[in-house]
Parts: sequence; structure tokens; C-alpha cells
Amino acid sequence: MNPLLELEAVSKTFTRGGLLSRRTVEAVKSVSFRLEDGKPEIFAVIGESGSGKSTLARMILGMHRPSGGRLRFEGKDVAALTAAERPTFMAKVQPIFQNPFEAFNPLKKLDFYLFMTARRFGGAASQDGAEQASDVALRQVGLTLDEIRGRFPHELSGGQLQRVAIARALVSKPRLILADEPVSMVDASLRMSIVNLFGELRDRLGLSIIYITHDLATAYYIADRLIIMRKGEVVEEGPAREVLTHPKHPYSQQLRAAVLTPDALSPPPQPTI
Amino acid sequence: MNGAPILTVENLKARFRTKHFGVSREVPAVDDITFSIRRNEIFGLAGESSSGKTTLIKTIAGLVRPPLELVGGRAEFSFLPDAPTLHQASPAAVAKVRWRHLSYIMQASMNVLNPLRRISATFRDFALPHLGGTAGDFERKVTEHLALLRLDPSILDAYPHELSGGMRQRVTIALATICRPDFIIADEPTTALDVIVQKDVLGMIRSIQREMGSSVLFVTHDMAVHAALTDRLGVMYAGCLVEEGATSAVFARPRHPYTRHLIHSLPRIGDDRQRASLAGSPPNLADPPPGCRFHPRCPLAVQRCRQARPAMLEAEPGHRVACHAVEEGRS
Repeated sequence: MNPLLELEAVSKTFTRGGLLSRRTVEAVKSVSFRLEDGKPEIFAVIGESGSGKSTLARMILGMHRPSGGRLRFEGKDVAALTAAERPTFMAKVQPIFQNPFEAFNPLKKLDFYLFMTARRFGGAASQDGAEQASDVALRQVGLTLDEIRGRFPHELSGGQLQRVAIARALVSKPRLILADEPVSMVDASLRMSIVNLFGELRDRLGLSIIYITHDLATAYYIADRLIIMRKGEVVEEGPAREVLTHPKHPYSQQLRAAVLTPDALSPPPQPTI
Repeated sequence: MNGAPILTVENLKARFRTKHFGVSREVPAVDDITFSIRRNEIFGLAGESSSGKTTLIKTIAGLVRPPLELVGGRAEFSFLPDAPTLHQASPAAVAKVRWRHLSYIMQASMNVLNPLRRISATFRDFALPHLGGTAGDFERKVTEHLALLRLDPSILDAYPHELSGGMRQRVTIALATICRPDFIIADEPTTALDVIVQKDVLGMIRSIQREMGSSVLFVTHDMAVHAALTDRLGVMYAGCLVEEGATSAVFARPRHPYTRHLIHSLPRIGDDRQRASLAGSPPNLADPPPGCRFHPRCPLAVQRCRQARPAMLEAEPGHRVACHAVEEGRS
């Protein structure tokens, strides 16, 4: 099987300071994994802030060039894409961001984003085509164009807005979606609807999703495989349920132990006064 | 933990009133809320964004400023015998109470700590006027207090940017507790932290609360945090309190359909069952639905729920619910 996305010892170093005070920060150190073509899955990247997971996401999106290693999408090196190949790549790899309220300009209508993506990346030649492509994408997330047309971001709830963000990513018919902490800003009653939607997109549309999170419980719930990152390095990888049920690396065990669950209600310590 | 209440909130109502181009809008963000917090307990307040949690704590703390206005009801602290409600007290009286009796732990620690001053200077700014004494006494007190929280005294010489997010949040907890206040309001203090750090910070809040015997009003939308930390729990939905009881009782047998959804939809490691999601979205408070505010999303809604607002009634001793279905024995 051909890989859809293949990372081979990918690393990223940031340099700051001048000639004399040069300091380098290794944000991502030699990360390797691959997602197979024709085998859609939800691949979770888990780690605390500063573990390099967002830098990894930016490299996969082609926004940063890796300092070392190879990053290939459909067999092509992402860093070596020509200007002509880039729009096709961008159509196939789409991001979803953490805070839907910040992802959209509050002064622009939401349909503007959908139509724009349809025209630039979705191959829509006319306004009619763009509207149709947007409606198809919105229906895949449980909305319709009639509900969204002419609305501004503040008129929708966080959960609805995140659905629109997902629909926007779907307009260009991507093969891979990068979701960076997509539910951490969404209300509790709507969170599971977004997470379940990812499962549906994988099963129905055959999309692969890279789900970046620090929430182990949702990763257990929805992910097929995962990697756990710490300080730029992958410390553990494997099938999501197995790794989270029996973590082997000390750091994974520490993460697992820090998960608060309603079942683990510890009896309150006796008051001292 | 059957102490006298330290905070009594009765029929508290507050609303935002805005006026733009002659069109006036009213948003009832806190609608008829009644509950009390006892001495030496952690009371959790749950609810999603825009459910009125922050407006409720603002009203309780006396921070009622336009466009927020108080409509009715009262919020009384037992440590304030002469001026029972904070928003009626004079600024001088409020200044005396703050920090000494009532303190806050906020979500964004970076907004509390002055980035241009060392931590020791921030401690002096906040706490010296309340603790008094000589500089030497004060320094000794601060060091002792940091030791109690297992913080190294060397952090006093650091600037906020030199500390990690978790460490900064610990410093704000140390600041909030140094005067040994009777009542602490904590507004989402661990939301921005990583899971491992979050667990430490929660443990720290609990141990300092048990050590000092203060009461804590702990606000977060994260039900797992409530389960791990709080003694009693109140759940808010669209400006109303819908359920209140001992945290263990609420988790063991949630009565309100909204609470039940919140608890049952939490994914758990080791549990492979499918989690359902709730249809619809939270109502716009400027135009809330009639009757029970949860009825458009409620699986148990009947005609009565669309017309009459349910009263907060005791379902079991110490466990109150505002739901017609519970009242009629349908839930």
C-alpha cells in the first residue's frame, strides 16, 4: 500500500538571536509515522503545550519547511512542491483551528469563506458552482447553506461555528484534515457532536484526520492510532486504546494518571480544622 | 461539614442592559438564583459558556457595573455583619473586605501578575496593606506561606515571564490565599493548564482550602474537575440554576436531563460505548425560550415544560432540581 502521508525522521529547529548570541530550539526531533492510502483513520497527536505538536502540524500543512528528514504527501516531498503543485496540495490537506471565533473575521459573512474556498481550491468556476459545493459540504456537517447564508460569526454558537469551519475544510474535497485542538473551545454539550462528526467523516467520506489534542479521553474515544509527544520527541506510539489503557513510557503513564475521571472520585481528605 | 452558610444567595437576578441607536436590549444573565455555600467546603459551579457563571460571581463579589445591573434578590456574606451585600457597601468598606476575607483566583495568571515587577513586589502590592507589620515580618510570612504551598522562596526574585504557566498559576493561588481569606472565588483557574499541571494545581487548591478551612466557589465547565475536587455542585443553564447537590450524589444520580447529558457524554478511558450528543445549541439569552429554558433540547419535554418555568425543588434531602419531569416522577 502506498502511504498517503509519510514522515521520515522529520525535525525542525528554530534559531534565534544574532551572530554572537545564537540559540537554537529543537521544536520537533526526528518524528516518523505514516498514514496509509485507502485506509482512512483518525490519528491523534497528544502532548502538552510546548511539545512540538503545533510545529508538526504546520510542517504537514507546508507552512514550515522541515530542518531535517523527509515529509511526503502522496509520494511527493512537501518541501519541494512547485508553485504550480501547491494549490492542489493545499486543496488536499486542510486545517481546522482551535478557536472558531478567531478563525473567522468577525466582519465578514461566513458564506464568503465557503465560496472563496470553493472557487480557489474546490474547482468551482461560477457563483452557482460555489454555492452548490458549499451546500454539499455544509450538509456533511449537518447544516445547510440556507442556515448560513448572510450570517456573521457572532450569530452562531461555538459548536455551530466549528461545524462551519469543518465544512469550509471539506469544500475542497480534501484527503487529509489537520485538526489542532478542535474541541477545546467548544461547549461541553456540543463537544461530543464534533468528535462524533470526525468519526462520521472518516467512515463516510474516507477522510484521514490528524487530531491534535491534550485531551486523552476524547483521543481514546475517537482515535484509531496515536503518538504521544514530549519536548519534540515521540515517546510512545501505537493503537489508541491499547496505548491509553496500558501506557508503557513513564511520561505516558504520568499523563494517564493525571486524567480526571468522574469514576475516580477520591474520598475527600479529612478537614484539619 | 454542616456549618453555617458563609454565603447566602437568594432570588438573585441581574441583567445586562444595552442601548444602541435607541434600541434597548435586556439580557437576563442571572435569573432567580438561590443557593448557599457553607464554611469549609468547595462549591463547584458548572455550566457552559454564556450560561451566566461569570455574571453570577461578579454579582456575588459586588462588581455590578453598567451595563450589568442588579434587578433583585440578595447575596450576603456572613463575615459582613453591617454591610451584608457587597455592591451596597462603600468603596472603603469593600477595600477592607477584599483579599482579607474575599479573594480571587483568576484564569489568566499573566493578567494578575505585573510583567514588569518581580513576584516579591507583586506580593507587597497586593498583600502588605492587608497584613501590615514590618517589612521583615511580611517577608517571613510570605516565605512561610510559600513553603506551605511547597513553592521555592527563590521564585520571589523571578519575573512572571521566567515562570511556566503552571508555576504562575501557583503564584496567583499563593497570592490569593496569603491573607487566609474566608472565601475564595476561583474562576476557571486550571482551564489553560496541561493535564499533569492541572492535577497538581487542583491538589494544591484542595490542600490549602482544607488547611485554612476557607470556602471556595470553584467555577469551571469541566465536569471531570468538579468530580475530582468539589464537595457540592451547582449546574447552571442559560442563566438559571437547574440542579444543586452533593457532588457525589449528583454524579451518582444526576436528576436534571441537562446534568445527566453532561455527565453521561464525558468520554472515559476504558469505556468503549458510543456517546450521544445533545441536539440544538444553548439559547440566546437576549431572547430565551418560554417555560423551562432547556425544553427545546430536552428529550423529556412535554407541554407544561414549554409554558411554565419549573421551580427548584428538593428531589432528595440536600439535592435540588428544577425540572417538571423530576417533579412529576417521570425522570
